[in-house]
Amino acid sequence: MQFDSISVEGLSHRFLSRNRSPTVALSDVSIQFPAGKVTSIVGPSGCGKSTLLLIMRGLVEATDGKVRFLYGNGSGTAISGAPPRMATVWQSFNLLPWRTVIDNVAFGLELQGMATEERRERALSAIKAVELGGFEQHYPGQLSGGMKQRVGLARGIVMSPDILFLDEPFGALDAQTRLYLQEQLSELVERSAKTVILITHSIEEAIFLGDRVVVMTARPGRVAATLDIDLPRPRSFDVQKQKAFGELFSEIYGLLRDEVRKSMLS
Amino acid sequence: MTQVERSAEVEAETSKSMQKAGDRLRDDTWWYGPVAISLFLVAWEACVRFGNVPEIFLPRPSLVVVTLYELFAYKQLAYDLMLTLYRIFGGFVLAAVVGIGLGLLMGMSRRIYAVCDIFIAAIYPVPKIALLPLLVIWLGTGNIFQIALSALGCIFPILINTIIGVRQCDEGLILAARDLGATPMQIQRKVVLPAAVPAIFGGLRLALGISIILVVAAEMQTARYGLGAKLQLAGQVLETGQVFAILLLLAIMGIALTKAQDRIGSVVDRWRAK
Repeated sequence: MQFDSISVEGLSHRFLSRNRSPTVALSDVSIQFPAGKVTSIVGPSGCGKSTLLLIMRGLVEATDGKVRFLYGNGSGTAISGAPPRMATVWQSFNLLPWRTVIDNVAFGLELQGMATEERRERALSAIKAVELGGFEQHYPGQLSGGMKQRVGLARGIVMSPDILFLDEPFGALDAQTRLYLQEQLSELVERSAKTVILITHSIEEAIFLGDRVVVMTARPGRVAATLDIDLPRPRSFDVQKQKAFGELFSEIYGLLRDEVRKSMLS
Repeated sequence: MTQVERSAEVEAETSKSMQKAGDRLRDDTWWYGPVAISLFLVAWEACVRFGNVPEIFLPRPSLVVVTLYELFAYKQLAYDLMLTLYRIFGGFVLAAVVGIGLGLLMGMSRRIYAVCDIFIAAIYPVPKIALLPLLVIWLGTGNIFQIALSALGCIFPILINTIIGVRQCDEGLILAARDLGATPMQIQRKVVLPAAVPAIFGGLRLALGISIILVVAAEMQTARYGLGAKLQLAGQVLETGQVFAILLLLAIMGIALTKAQDRIGSVVDRWRAK
């Protein structure tokens, strides 16, 4: 049985905001996330896309609806099963500031009870993969934002997850660092052929990294459209100059423009 | 070497040179304090010597040092010092164990917090020295009484700082740990507790100062041995030299303890260093 897809079905989420008025974050969201693909979710800020990630990741319980992890054997209908291995990369990095780079990267393995030597080895190779060799003994406070996020990325991939969640991973970084890391991530993703779910508010990023882009509406978050991105892989930064890229951008921006205005007015 | 490695190296170099600059900044001024206090002592010595101030009113610093030596040599002041330190640290350690333990529980559980909070609110504002009569009735005037009083004074800063430290733990760190599969127990041990360490350490610093104050004050009231008791005794018989000698010893003790705390603090907080 192979992991086939994540199926989000009729997901709604409400919570009480600080003034005790109920807020609807997500309203009847249904999305399929196929395995082995990068699905980008783009939407105006406050559309509940991060909440959607937390729910899929099992860190927040939805008010309504469900998330199923489907497994198939190549033919016939897929059946739902236990969640596969998952890891998340966060916008605010969320590195433990009192741990060195290597101890941060090995944190998940340590929680699993892996032996010191083995987790050290794995952490070192993950650190190499994100080009941070030589910084193993640094503390997060000694690193730049881009380096911190590469630690975050290494901490995720060292768990060899079946699904990698990226919650606005480059949102806190400056433009050049973001560009560089996007290219690096694109390479990493293509090499590993993992299932990736990328939350972002950057349309370029959603297209550049994604096989599919899910466009969400302003609060309450709903799915406005799902687009397939047929740009050839491997992609480099140059892909953004292609005509198809521009057309996709215009289409998505057209869908988002009104939503962004709505989210600013509400 | 790729561009990234190169820029990473430049970054590392920059942070190293900044660190060196920081060291130099600290090294530059290390002698200010000792020199200032030396000048002060010389001025004091000169004023008393040439100003004909009676010794019973203000003894010369050199005489104070000699008196301190004599107290150690002939009056077994070392015993008093040990006794006082024992009381100070006895109460401090007791308060640290109970305060950190209870603080962690209160910070983590809303129910435990709700139960304990009312007691803390009631006891915290009471001046601890006002509990002296009651504690003497219950515990007498021995070491147990001294330790209990010191612990009572120490426990609140430790407890309150621990609660704050636990509560201030970044939600994101807990989310990240849960994402990596941490159990609730692991989250407390590997995320919440270490995140609270700086706040707890701040509480411990405050507490040690309070412990010194309370123990010396209580010794002056009730004890026969201990620095506070000897200080009171010397004052009653107008041995001003001895009074100053013991005050000097208390000051030296204060400096030693503070510096020791700084050392421990910089080890605990080494990840904060840039």
